Amino acid sequence: MSQKFIRNFFIMSGFLLLLCIFTVVLFDPFFQYHKPLPGLKAVLTDKEYQCVGSLKNFDYDSVIAGSSVAENYNNGWFDQGFDCHSIKAIRSYGATADLCYLLDIAFEHQDLKYVFYNLDPSALVAEPETTYALTGCPMYLYDNNYLNDVEYWLNKDVLMKKIPYLIANSIIGDYDESNSYNWAQWKEFNSDMVLGLYIRKPSIDEMKPENYYEDLLNANLELLTSRIKAHPETEFYIFIPPYSMIWWDNIYREGDTKAYLYNLQRTMETLLTFENVKLYYFQNDREVITNLENYMDILHFSPDINHYICDSLINGTHQINKDNYMENINDMRTLADEIINELIKPYEDVIKVDIYDD
Amino acid sequence: MLFNSYIFIFLFLPLTLIGWYGLNKIKAYEPAKFFLAGMSLWFYGYFNIYYLAIIIVSILSNYLLSYLMKFSHTRLSGRIGLAAGLMLNLGMLFYFKYYDFFFENINLIFHTDFNLKHILLPLGISFFTFQQLSFIIDRCTGKAPHYSFSNYITFVTFFPQLIAGPIVLYKEMMPQFEDISNRRFHAESFAKGIVLFTIGLGKKVLLADVLALPVNFGFENTPFLDTPSTLLVILAYTFEIYFDFSGYSDMAMGLGKMFNIQLPMNFNSPYKACSVKELWQRWHMTLSRFFIQYVYIPLGGSRKGELRTIINTFLVFFLSGLWHGANWTYVAWGSMQGLLVIWDNLGIVGVKGSNEKLHSRIQMPRYLGWLFTFSFFNLSLFFFRSDSLSDAFQMFKNIFAFKATGYIYKIAARLDIPEFYLIKQVINMTAPEILSYAYVALFIILLLISAFILTRKNAVQIVEEHPLNLRLCLIITIIFVWSVVSFSQVSTFIYFNF
Repeated sequence: MSQKFIRNFFIMSGFLLLLCIFTVVLFDPFFQYHKPLPGLKAVLTDKEYQCVGSLKNFDYDSVIAGSSVAENYNNGWFDQGFDCHSIKAIRSYGATADLCYLLDIAFEHQDLKYVFYNLDPSALVAEPETTYALTGCPMYLYDNNYLNDVEYWLNKDVLMKKIPYLIANSIIGDYDESNSYNWAQWKEFNSDMVLGLYIRKPSIDEMKPENYYEDLLNANLELLTSRIKAHPETEFYIFIPPYSMIWWDNIYREGDTKAYLYNLQRTMETLLTFENVKLYYFQNDREVITNLENYMDILHFSPDINHYICDSLINGTHQINKDNYMENINDMRTLADEIINELIKPYEDVIKVDIYDD
Repeated sequence: MLFNSYIFIFLFLPLTLIGWYGLNKIKAYEPAKFFLAGMSLWFYGYFNIYYLAIIIVSILSNYLLSYLMKFSHTRLSGRIGLAAGLMLNLGMLFYFKYYDFFFENINLIFHTDFNLKHILLPLGISFFTFQQLSFIIDRCTGKAPHYSFSNYITFVTFFPQLIAGPIVLYKEMMPQFEDISNRRFHAESFAKGIVLFTIGLGKKVLLADVLALPVNFGFENTPFLDTPSTLLVILAYTFEIYFDFSGYSDMAMGLGKMFNIQLPMNFNSPYKACSVKELWQRWHMTLSRFFIQYVYIPLGGSRKGELRTIINTFLVFFLSGLWHGANWTYVAWGSMQGLLVIWDNLGIVGVKGSNEKLHSRIQMPRYLGWLFTFSFFNLSLFFFRSDSLSDAFQMFKNIFAFKATGYIYKIAARLDIPEFYLIKQVINMTAPEILSYAYVALFIILLLISAFILTRKNAVQIVEEHPLNLRLCLIITIIFVWSVVSFSQVSTFIYFNF
């Protein structure tokens, strides 16, 4: 009886576990092994889990790389404007090392016509190492070790949430595949939101010297330029997004304005030396950054701005070249001064102050 | 390595079983023990490789002391050995577990400025220290022989009990490791091991870890809780801690059985107890056994008059509280238990039909005894679970505030478990306004299921009494597979700042 019990237990457990594995591999909601099954959509809503798999297994010829501010682009805008088939490579915080890691996967699996690269100022001062493991990302989806995929195969969340979600969105929902990772639908964009979320540092730190982040800047530029050099056949559209003027108030109080502007200048000088790079600059777009109705917090803008940026890339407005980059930097420097001296003043009464600031 | 992990179930356990029975099959008995010890050290070091050094030093030092005691023939040398053994084991425990607590309080009382070390507590140190302490005390008092190194290291490191007990004694383990008949594969023992392990796994993964969701949220938001949420949170925690700890003990016993090793029972349906004293005869039984044998009895037990009995009893529970953690909350919790056990021992109020030798002056019905015991233990867990005494008192205040702010909906919403996902989606589509009620209903159902399970036979009784038939196999298989697919989760990454 005992032997029969043991045998039955192993047979039944083995069968059920294999059934779970089969179900996960078949539907593959994180697209680790294949594209969506016929009749199912590419439902992309969990970038930490799906970005790597979709970059490995989907068909595409262009990548939209960036941080959370790049999530609200509609792939269709790029596809129509550039006659390409794009996919998103998104990483929270948009650290250069993380985005380059995703780009490497894309280059490994596809020949890319375009890389549309959202370059955040913070990415230039981030540590030049990837942060996936550090931030608790599911590393079993990031490596090429199939054995540790057991965490994916035998996973109740995948079986009971992600697969039904994929099926439901494909069959009964109105999920738009071009809006992958889009979060704007759940957010409001207006000045109340921005001013409600901004907690201002009452003290003003001493302005850091302009080369304060030099080492990090060099390391991050090296990461990015090495990809640009390695893929001369790919055209890189690199754009620096327009954060709100409140963000400029914040970095002024942190003592970062001078160093950040220097970083931008160095970045432009470096990137403009490459023939396969087109550089776009939006930070000094007064109309956008001074209108707080465009934002939900100090830096996240509405999809209308995403669309505006995409249109600019298509039309060539906001483009930077060797002749006008210093003019733009100087313009931004003037605007940054204007923000802290004039433009922020009307809001000072409603901005909350950080009472824990030392 | 955790029992509830893929690597343990799909790699470590099969390899260890195959190696153990394989080596024993070819009569390589000594290599088999070293193999088992080696695998156990891998199991231990998997958490943190540096922990290995601590346990190895502890084992080697104790073994050396035991060896030196071979040359001890006088009472004095025995006492010196005993002092050395106590200093070695309690010293290590103090350094790694209580150093910061001790100097924090010294700094507070004497306004001194001793630096704290913030040492990461080595896993299971309280367990393997007590395990070795029991041996070394008996060794130095002439009650225990010196064992071979292979036996000793196997006894200390045997992975099923290494990091969370039960606290085993050398005299119950050594004979089992030495018995050659235990080295053969016994289908019945193995099958019972599977059942026991799986029941424990289910208790831990499917109940304790799920109950922990609202409980953790509740204890992280102590000041905001209202009366109903506080009551439900502490009730959930009472179930969680039992399922967690007894589940682990069941798994340990089950694993022991797979190796033909009988580990002692650690929990015997403690929530069925009708007095606090009885509860402690059923809760973490191997810890109580250790304290009775190595603290209570050497202090005189109940042989030196009523006052000494009271003091000895209190001391045991005070130490038991401190053993659970370096925080005044644990001391308060242990002391409360001690006071209630002393009260029970006084025999003023008792429960009808109890087996106590002492006949109580006032007898109350069993259900009242149970109600009082369960409620007391329930409330005492405020101290056990809270980060500080003030948090614990805050929880009491919450109860007596007699307020219902609706916080229970927030607490219950933490139960966003995959099993509820489809129901949640249906509610969202049809009547989203009732979703918060549905979460509360889910919370209550979970508590009712927990209560129902607690009133049934415990895992050991099921294994001993239930035939190993197809029905049991089917139930065990479902629990096993359900638990395994619960090991891994998909996290939600919430961010919005760069």
